[in-house]
Amino acid sequence: MNRALTALDKRILNRLQQDIPFTAEPWKKIAGELNIQEARLLNRIAILKKRGIIRRIAAVFNPRKVGFVSTLAAAKVAPENIEAAARAVNKYPEVTHNYKRQEEYNLWFALVAPSRKKITLIINRLKKNKKFKKVIELPAVRLFKIDVSLKV
Amino acid sequence: MLSPLDKKIISLVSKDMLLSSRPFKVMAGKAGISEDKLLARLKSYKKSGMMRKFSAVLHHINAGFKHNAMCVWNVPEKSALNAGRIIAAFDYVSHCYQRKRRADWKYNLYAMVHGKTRAECIKAAKKISGKIGFPDCKILFSSKEYKKTGVKYG
Repeated sequence: MNRALTALDKRILNRLQQDIPFTAEPWKKIAGELNIQEARLLNRIAILKKRGIIRRIAAVFNPRKVGFVSTLAAAKVAPENIEAAARAVNKYPEVTHNYKRQEEYNLWFALVAPSRKKITLIINRLKKNKKFKKVIELPAVRLFKIDVSLKV
Repeated sequence: MLSPLDKKIISLVSKDMLLSSRPFKVMAGKAGISEDKLLARLKSYKKSGMMRKFSAVLHHINAGFKHNAMCVWNVPEKSALNAGRIIAAFDYVSHCYQRKRRADWKYNLYAMVHGKTRAECIKAAKKISGKIGFPDCKILFSSKEYKKTGVKYG
Protein backbone atom coordinates (compact mmCIF):
# COMPACT_ATOMS: atom_id res chain seq x y z
CA MET A 1 0.00 0.00 0.00
CA ASN A 2 2.95 2.30 0.55
CA ARG A 3 4.31 1.90 -2.94
CA ALA A 4 4.46 5.36 -4.39
CA LEU A 5 2.05 6.31 -7.13
CA THR A 6 3.64 6.82 -10.53
CA ALA A 7 3.30 10.16 -12.30
CA LEU A 8 0.81 8.50 -14.68
CA ASP A 9 -1.25 7.10 -11.80
CA LYS A 10 -1.49 10.59 -10.31
CA ARG A 11 -2.63 12.05 -13.62
CA ILE A 12 -5.22 9.29 -13.93
CA LEU A 13 -6.50 9.82 -10.35
CA ASN A 14 -6.77 13.56 -10.78
CA ARG A 15 -8.64 13.13 -14.06
CA LEU A 16 -10.99 10.45 -12.75
CA GLN A 17 -12.07 12.67 -9.87
CA GLN A 18 -13.61 14.91 -12.51
CA ASP A 19 -16.73 13.82 -14.39
CA ILE A 20 -16.59 10.81 -16.70
CA PRO A 21 -17.76 11.98 -20.15
CA PHE A 22 -21.27 10.87 -21.11
CA THR A 23 -20.25 9.42 -24.41
CA ALA A 24 -20.32 5.92 -25.93
CA GLU A 25 -16.62 5.27 -25.25
CA PRO A 26 -15.77 7.27 -22.12
CA TRP A 27 -12.53 5.46 -21.32
CA LYS A 28 -11.20 6.00 -24.81
CA LYS A 29 -11.94 9.71 -24.48
CA ILE A 30 -10.17 10.00 -21.13
CA ALA A 31 -7.23 7.92 -22.42
CA GLY A 32 -6.95 10.38 -25.31
CA GLU A 33 -6.86 13.33 -22.90
CA LEU A 34 -4.05 11.61 -21.01
CA ASN A 35 -2.21 10.62 -24.21
CA ILE A 36 -2.31 6.91 -23.51
CA GLN A 37 -4.08 3.90 -24.99
CA GLU A 38 -7.49 2.90 -23.65
CA ALA A 39 -6.20 -0.56 -22.71
CA ARG A 40 -3.40 0.97 -20.64
CA LEU A 41 -5.86 3.27 -18.85
CA LEU A 42 -8.20 0.40 -18.00
CA ASN A 43 -5.27 -1.69 -16.82
CA ARG A 44 -4.02 1.10 -14.50
CA ILE A 45 -7.54 1.71 -13.14
CA ALA A 46 -7.92 -2.00 -12.38
CA ILE A 47 -4.60 -1.93 -10.49
CA LEU A 48 -5.54 1.24 -8.58
CA LYS A 49 -8.78 -0.45 -7.54
CA LYS A 50 -6.98 -3.60 -6.50
CA ARG A 51 -4.60 -1.53 -4.38
CA GLY A 52 -7.62 0.07 -2.71
CA ILE A 53 -6.84 3.58 -3.95
CA ILE A 54 -9.99 3.86 -6.06
CA ARG A 55 -13.07 2.73 -4.13
CA ARG A 56 -15.43 2.93 -7.06
CA ILE A 57 -16.30 4.93 -10.15
CA ALA A 58 -19.96 5.83 -10.03
CA ALA A 59 -22.52 8.59 -10.08
CA VAL A 60 -23.24 10.53 -6.91
CA PHE A 61 -26.70 12.05 -6.65
CA ASN A 62 -28.06 14.80 -4.47
CA PRO A 63 -30.26 12.58 -2.26
CA ARG A 64 -32.78 15.36 -1.67
CA LYS A 65 -33.31 15.96 -5.38
CA VAL A 66 -33.86 12.25 -5.91
CA GLY A 67 -36.50 12.37 -3.20
CA PHE A 68 -34.30 10.82 -0.53
CA VAL A 69 -33.57 12.07 2.98
CA SER A 70 -30.08 12.11 4.47
CA THR A 71 -28.91 12.74 7.98
CA LEU A 72 -26.10 12.31 10.50
CA ALA A 73 -26.47 10.51 13.81
CA ALA A 74 -24.22 10.10 16.83
CA ALA A 75 -24.37 7.56 19.64
CA LYS A 76 -22.89 7.18 23.09
CA VAL A 77 -21.80 3.60 23.56
CA ALA A 78 -19.85 1.93 26.37
CA PRO A 79 -16.36 1.03 25.05
CA GLU A 80 -16.98 -2.70 25.56
CA ASN A 81 -20.12 -2.51 23.41
CA ILE A 82 -18.76 -0.47 20.54
CA GLU A 83 -18.08 -3.35 18.12
CA ALA A 84 -21.55 -4.83 18.65
CA ALA A 85 -23.16 -1.39 18.35
CA ALA A 86 -21.24 -0.72 15.12
CA ARG A 87 -22.49 -4.02 13.72
CA ALA A 88 -26.07 -3.14 14.67
CA VAL A 89 -25.73 0.15 12.80
CA ASN A 90 -24.04 -1.41 9.76
CA LYS A 91 -26.85 -3.91 9.40
CA TYR A 92 -29.02 -1.18 7.86
CA PRO A 93 -28.37 -0.70 4.13
CA GLU A 94 -29.47 2.94 4.63
CA VAL A 95 -26.27 3.56 6.61
CA THR A 96 -23.58 4.83 4.21
CA HIS A 97 -20.81 5.82 6.67
CA ASN A 98 -20.01 4.66 10.17
CA TYR A 99 -17.01 5.67 12.27
CA LYS A 100 -15.68 5.28 15.75
CA ARG A 101 -14.50 8.62 17.12
CA GLN A 102 -12.72 9.56 20.31
CA GLU A 103 -15.43 11.54 22.02
CA GLU A 104 -18.26 10.99 24.47
CA TYR A 105 -20.39 10.46 21.38
CA ASN A 106 -18.12 7.75 20.05
CA LEU A 107 -20.07 6.27 17.13
CA TRP A 108 -20.99 8.53 14.19
CA PHE A 109 -22.97 7.37 11.20
CA ALA A 110 -24.67 8.84 8.15
CA LEU A 111 -27.93 7.58 6.69
CA VAL A 112 -29.70 8.04 3.38
CA ALA A 113 -33.24 6.67 3.03
CA PRO A 114 -36.26 7.01 0.73
CA SER A 115 -38.27 8.75 3.47
CA ARG A 116 -38.07 10.66 6.76
CA LYS A 117 -40.22 7.93 8.27
CA LYS A 118 -37.61 5.29 7.50
CA ILE A 119 -34.84 7.37 9.13
CA THR A 120 -36.94 7.90 12.26
CA LEU A 121 -37.73 4.19 12.41
CA ILE A 122 -34.04 3.23 12.30
CA ILE A 123 -33.04 5.84 14.90
CA ASN A 124 -35.85 4.72 17.21
CA ARG A 125 -34.85 1.08 16.88
CA LEU A 126 -31.26 1.91 17.78
CA LYS A 127 -32.46 3.98 20.75
CA LYS A 128 -34.22 0.88 22.08
CA ASN A 129 -31.14 -1.29 21.58
CA LYS A 130 -29.46 -1.81 24.99
CA LYS A 131 -25.98 -1.49 23.50
CA PHE A 132 -26.67 2.23 22.99
CA LYS A 133 -26.69 4.67 25.90
CA LYS A 134 -27.93 7.55 23.79
CA VAL A 135 -28.59 8.26 20.12
CA ILE A 136 -29.03 11.76 18.68
CA GLU A 137 -29.84 12.82 15.15
CA LEU A 138 -28.16 15.90 13.71
CA PRO A 139 -29.97 16.80 10.50
CA ALA A 140 -28.35 19.35 8.20
CA VAL A 141 -30.00 22.74 8.01
CA ARG A 142 -27.57 24.15 5.44
CA LEU A 143 -25.10 22.63 3.00
CA PHE A 144 -22.02 24.75 2.33
CA LYS A 145 -19.78 22.31 0.50
CA ILE A 146 -19.39 18.80 -0.82
CA ASP A 147 -16.26 18.27 -2.84
CA VAL A 148 -14.40 15.11 -2.10
CA SER A 149 -11.90 15.43 -4.95
CA LEU A 150 -8.36 15.73 -3.67
CA LYS A 151 -5.31 16.59 -5.73
CA VAL A 152 -2.97 13.60 -5.48
CA MET B 1 -41.40 12.77 -9.17
CA LEU B 2 -39.02 10.23 -10.60
CA SER B 3 -40.28 7.72 -13.11
CA PRO B 4 -39.58 4.00 -12.66
CA LEU B 5 -37.04 4.34 -15.49
CA ASP B 6 -35.23 7.18 -13.69
CA LYS B 7 -35.09 5.08 -10.54
CA LYS B 8 -33.68 2.15 -12.47
CA ILE B 9 -31.02 4.32 -14.10
CA ILE B 10 -30.06 5.98 -10.80
CA SER B 11 -29.67 2.60 -9.18
CA LEU B 12 -27.51 1.31 -12.07
CA VAL B 13 -25.16 4.28 -12.32
CA SER B 14 -24.70 4.46 -8.54
CA LYS B 15 -22.86 1.15 -8.74
CA ASP B 16 -19.23 0.75 -9.71
CA MET B 17 -18.81 1.34 -13.44
CA LEU B 18 -17.60 -1.41 -15.77
CA LEU B 19 -14.07 -1.23 -17.09
CA SER B 20 -15.01 -2.19 -20.63
CA SER B 21 -15.04 -0.03 -23.74
CA ARG B 22 -18.84 0.55 -23.86
CA PRO B 23 -19.92 0.68 -20.21
CA PHE B 24 -23.02 2.79 -20.88
CA LYS B 25 -24.21 0.34 -23.52
CA VAL B 26 -24.18 -2.44 -20.93
CA MET B 27 -26.08 -0.26 -18.40
CA ALA B 28 -28.58 0.80 -21.06
CA GLY B 29 -29.19 -2.88 -21.84
CA LYS B 30 -29.97 -3.54 -18.18
CA ALA B 31 -32.38 -0.59 -18.12
CA GLY B 32 -34.00 -1.76 -21.38
CA ILE B 33 -33.22 1.47 -23.27
CA SER B 34 -30.78 2.54 -25.97
CA GLU B 35 -27.30 3.79 -25.17
CA ASP B 36 -28.18 7.21 -26.63
CA LYS B 37 -31.25 7.53 -24.45
CA LEU B 38 -29.24 6.63 -21.35
CA LEU B 39 -26.54 9.20 -22.19
CA ALA B 40 -29.20 11.87 -22.75
CA ARG B 41 -30.78 11.08 -19.36
CA LEU B 42 -27.42 11.24 -17.60
CA LYS B 43 -26.71 14.64 -19.16
CA SER B 44 -30.07 15.94 -18.02
CA TYR B 45 -29.56 14.68 -14.42
CA LYS B 46 -26.21 16.44 -14.34
CA LYS B 47 -27.65 19.64 -15.78
CA SER B 48 -30.49 19.78 -13.26
CA GLY B 49 -28.10 19.24 -10.35
CA MET B 50 -29.79 16.01 -9.42
CA MET B 51 -26.50 14.28 -10.18
CA ARG B 52 -23.60 15.87 -8.35
CA LYS B 53 -20.79 13.98 -10.01
CA PHE B 54 -19.96 10.90 -12.00
CA SER B 55 -16.40 10.18 -11.04
CA ALA B 56 -13.94 8.11 -9.07
CA VAL B 57 -14.30 7.95 -5.31
CA LEU B 58 -10.86 7.50 -3.79
CA HIS B 59 -9.84 5.83 -0.63
CA HIS B 60 -8.23 8.94 0.82
CA ILE B 61 -5.98 7.05 3.17
CA ASN B 62 -4.47 4.98 0.37
CA ALA B 63 -4.22 8.03 -1.87
CA GLY B 64 -1.87 9.72 0.60
CA PHE B 65 -4.38 11.71 2.66
CA LYS B 66 -3.86 9.52 5.66
CA HIS B 67 -5.75 11.61 8.17
CA ASN B 68 -9.08 13.28 8.39
CA ALA B 69 -10.98 14.83 11.21
CA MET B 70 -14.55 15.84 11.64
CA CYS B 71 -14.26 19.32 13.11
CA VAL B 72 -17.23 20.97 14.77
CA TRP B 73 -17.75 24.53 15.91
CA ASN B 74 -20.25 26.21 18.18
CA VAL B 75 -21.15 29.41 16.36
CA PRO B 76 -24.04 31.78 17.20
CA GLU B 77 -26.92 31.18 14.77
CA LYS B 78 -26.73 34.68 13.31
CA SER B 79 -23.04 34.17 12.39
CA ALA B 80 -23.39 30.62 11.09
CA LEU B 81 -24.02 31.51 7.45
CA ASN B 82 -20.94 33.66 7.19
CA ALA B 83 -18.72 31.26 9.16
CA GLY B 84 -19.90 28.30 7.06
CA ARG B 85 -18.94 30.09 3.87
CA ILE B 86 -15.50 30.87 5.24
CA ILE B 87 -14.94 27.25 6.28
CA ALA B 88 -16.13 25.91 2.91
CA ALA B 89 -13.55 28.03 1.10
CA PHE B 90 -10.61 26.09 2.57
CA ASP B 91 -9.10 23.59 0.10
CA TYR B 92 -8.58 20.86 2.68
CA VAL B 93 -12.26 20.93 3.68
CA SER B 94 -14.29 18.40 1.67
CA HIS B 95 -17.68 18.71 3.41
CA CYS B 96 -19.19 21.57 5.33
CA TYR B 97 -22.67 21.64 6.85
CA GLN B 98 -24.67 23.54 9.40
CA ARG B 99 -26.61 21.08 11.56
CA LYS B 100 -29.23 21.19 14.24
CA ARG B 101 -27.91 21.41 17.84
CA ARG B 102 -28.99 19.09 20.66
CA ALA B 103 -29.31 19.67 24.41
CA ASP B 104 -25.98 17.99 25.17
CA TRP B 105 -24.34 18.74 21.81
CA LYS B 106 -23.99 22.47 21.20
CA TYR B 107 -22.00 22.33 17.96
CA ASN B 108 -23.70 23.51 14.78
CA LEU B 109 -21.00 23.82 12.07
CA TYR B 110 -19.33 20.69 10.75
CA ALA B 111 -16.36 20.27 8.41
CA MET B 112 -14.37 17.26 7.21
CA VAL B 113 -10.74 18.34 7.27
CA HIS B 114 -8.11 16.30 5.40
CA GLY B 115 -4.38 16.21 5.92
CA LYS B 116 -1.27 14.15 5.34
CA THR B 117 -0.66 14.03 9.09
CA ARG B 118 -2.75 14.36 12.24
CA ALA B 119 -0.85 17.51 13.15
CA GLU B 120 -1.77 19.00 9.78
CA CYS B 121 -5.48 18.45 10.53
CA ILE B 122 -5.19 20.05 13.97
CA LYS B 123 -3.30 23.01 12.51
CA ALA B 124 -5.96 23.41 9.83
CA ALA B 125 -8.80 23.36 12.39
CA LYS B 126 -7.03 26.00 14.48
CA LYS B 127 -6.51 28.14 11.43
CA ILE B 128 -10.23 27.90 10.62
CA SER B 129 -11.16 28.79 14.21
CA GLY B 130 -9.02 31.91 13.96
CA LYS B 131 -10.48 32.88 10.64
CA ILE B 132 -14.12 32.53 11.68
CA GLY B 133 -13.45 34.08 15.09
CA PHE B 134 -15.20 31.36 17.10
CA PRO B 135 -12.73 29.19 19.00
CA ASP B 136 -15.23 26.75 20.56
CA CYS B 137 -14.18 23.79 18.41
CA LYS B 138 -13.80 20.04 18.76
CA ILE B 139 -11.60 17.91 16.52
CA LEU B 140 -12.94 14.37 16.20
CA PHE B 141 -10.53 11.96 14.57
CA SER B 142 -11.95 8.67 13.43
CA SER B 143 -10.24 5.78 15.15
CA LYS B 144 -12.01 3.11 13.10
CA GLU B 145 -14.01 2.98 9.88
CA TYR B 146 -16.87 0.50 10.16
CA LYS B 147 -18.56 1.40 6.88
CA LYS B 148 -18.15 3.68 3.89
CA THR B 149 -20.25 2.97 0.86
CA GLY B 150 -22.36 4.62 -1.80
CA VAL B 151 -26.09 5.16 -1.44
CA LYS B 152 -28.23 2.18 -2.40
CA TYR B 153 -31.00 3.59 -4.56
CA GLY B 154 -32.66 0.26 -5.19
